[in-house]
Amino acid sequence: MDFAFSEEEERFRAELRAFLSEELPAWWRGMFVDDPRAIAFTRAFCAKLAARGWLTMSWPREWGGQEASVWKQAILREEMWAHDEPRGPQYMNLNYIGPCIMRFGSEAQKRRFLPPMAAGDVLWTQGFSEPGAGSDLAAVATRAEARGDHLVVNGHKLWSSYADAPADWCFLLARTGAGARRHEGLSILLVDMRTPGITVRPIDSMAGPHELNEMFFDEVRVPRDCLLGAEGQGWEIVTTGLTFERVGVARYARAGRVIALLVEHVKAAGLAGDPDVRRKLAELRVRQEVARLLNYRVISLQARGQVPSVETAIARVHNTQLEQRVGHVGLEILGLGGQLTADAPGAPLRGLLHRQWARNVPSTIAAGTLEVQKNIIARRGLGLPRAS
Amino acid sequence: MDLTLTAEQEMLVEAARRFLARAWSLADTRAAERDPRGFRPDVWRAMAGLGWQGMALPAASGGGGLGFVETILVLEEMGRALLPSPFLPTAVLCGPLILALGSEAQRRWLPRIAAGEMVATLALVEPGWRDPWGTPALAADGGGRLTGRKLFVPFAPDADLLLVAAAGPSLIALERGAAGVAATRLATLGGDPVYEVVLDGAQGEPLGAPGGAGPALARALDRGAVATLAYMVGAAERALEMTVDHASTRVQFGRPIGSFQAVAHRCADMRTDLDALRHLVYQAAWRLEAPLAVSAALAYGSEALRRIFMHAHQVHGAIGFSTEHDLHLFTRRAKAAELQWGSPARHHERVAQAMGL
Repeated sequence: MDFAFSEEEERFRAELRAFLSEELPAWWRGMFVDDPRAIAFTRAFCAKLAARGWLTMSWPREWGGQEASVWKQAILREEMWAHDEPRGPQYMNLNYIGPCIMRFGSEAQKRRFLPPMAAGDVLWTQGFSEPGAGSDLAAVATRAEARGDHLVVNGHKLWSSYADAPADWCFLLARTGAGARRHEGLSILLVDMRTPGITVRPIDSMAGPHELNEMFFDEVRVPRDCLLGAEGQGWEIVTTGLTFERVGVARYARAGRVIALLVEHVKAAGLAGDPDVRRKLAELRVRQEVARLLNYRVISLQARGQVPSVETAIARVHNTQLEQRVGHVGLEILGLGGQLTADAPGAPLRGLLHRQWARNVPSTIAAGTLEVQKNIIARRGLGLPRAS
Repeated sequence: MDLTLTAEQEMLVEAARRFLARAWSLADTRAAERDPRGFRPDVWRAMAGLGWQGMALPAASGGGGLGFVETILVLEEMGRALLPSPFLPTAVLCGPLILALGSEAQRRWLPRIAAGEMVATLALVEPGWRDPWGTPALAADGGGRLTGRKLFVPFAPDADLLLVAAAGPSLIALERGAAGVAATRLATLGGDPVYEVVLDGAQGEPLGAPGGAGPALARALDRGAVATLAYMVGAAERALEMTVDHASTRVQFGRPIGSFQAVAHRCADMRTDLDALRHLVYQAAWRLEAPLAVSAALAYGSEALRRIFMHAHQVHGAIGFSTEHDLHLFTRRAKAAELQWGSPARHHERVAQAMGL
């Protein structure tokens, strides 16, 4: 047991902070703020990270990585999320799409897909949910039918982040066969988004425009060599990917930064002596500490070469609820001024808190609802019986 | 950074669990509640045989030279077994106080503590205090004569050594048999033995310089609070096991109640809270000098234990309320423990200060 980072790790964090303060423009407030400069900025930023070897630092050397420790990768993730994730959509490449290709892909697929990710020059979206398949993901109805050396895709996907960025590729879950059980006939396809027959329609959300999309696939011809893993292996790949994804977002680091900004705000606003404000900020800080430690438990297991599952669900329950709480409590502390959006004069913390609140309304929904996480903890973790 | 246990720590935990499974049962806990002594000397000696009482003391004092984290791991196992013993006052509070403040002669008590030959306890709380973070007012004259009243002193009549916090704060050591010491057991919620101690001109010897005990006492309070919480982490883990077992076997509406999501999610919430608490406690033990780490664990601990035990009772239904069932042994101790380390408000305020507020 060791609760400290090494000197080398602390140096790396300091280096990253210096780099970020150099590279982040004053206007940067993260994605989903309807700023036309955002996507181009994230591409240029990722290319700079790649040039320093930081973008895919934990990947094997042969795929453009440095085989850095999972702790260095975690530090990088923390600093990125604490600064509104300037990698933009590409964090998904590093979190689970790249690792899934590394784990399940053919040699040819690795050679084709991993180097562009390592160079910071490719955007991916995901096609998982559908109108009839949310928490019950195995209910996907999008079909990929074998015709010659192609799979022909027809279907309707929902909530695909960054598809309109525009994304270059899609990590698509589709039904390729009829297994005895529902999740047996599923496969993962790597789909070039320029293929004819794909229509992307943005869905505006409470977080703002340009976040979510629906995608329509109409006779989309995907070459057979873009099937990831074996036909029928889709469920295994997607559950593995979601496990990576659930700890790939350093929500506790973003929350920690918001809490620190709130502390500065209440001091400047003369509220630091208010016992209620003090207690509320302390409660947030304690919950942030919980979320951080439970993420660190997952990373500790990864560092030992284990594949945590229940532990990631537990970390996620704490992280997502922390982010929601920070939004609610932060707005309560700001009071009336909290409702001012970034462009309004005098908006405290440039409207950060109402963005924090709105963005996190769905954080207990996306990538597996809170209830799905609790089912995982109850059944896989505690061994409680399923409903028969 | 590595939040997993080392191989040595895992061995320590396994050995402790094996020993306690053999040496102690919940029937023993029930019996101890009715026993005037409240702990079993044979078990105490066996614990010393495993090196527990001395494990955090330096080798020169007959100890094992291990860290506080190891102490916490063993306390978690004691909590899982609901073992009442003077381990916390003796090894967690008094041992380190003697080490920090004692003279050469007084440090000769330490090997006796390590050998399980000495029970020591701390008389701190005075009438009117709501938590142990008060300012001792009990008067000691220059020669170490004490007159006054102390409350909530664990295992007082069984102690070979009583450390009394006096105004200053100073610590005065009273050895067994000192005249003018009277202990009366207090009936309490938790059931583990605590006493009112009335001192009437009792003659002791100062431990350290007069007025010089403040910093060592403050550290001891943090250590004791974290240790109490660690014990409750173990107790809560056992309560969770009992709850999952009940939810898996109790059949209503033709199916185990744990197959209903409403019940399963309460169990998942217990797991989620308890894992959070356990890691906060480990961090607090590892960073005992950091008020934020310590008070984060204590503030979260009070509230998490309430949630965990209310879920345990809700899932158990009516049987958990019956004293024929063992759950109440855990629940009562969890509530009593929470009162030992002060309110969440106190600890949140300490966190706020550590945040620069």
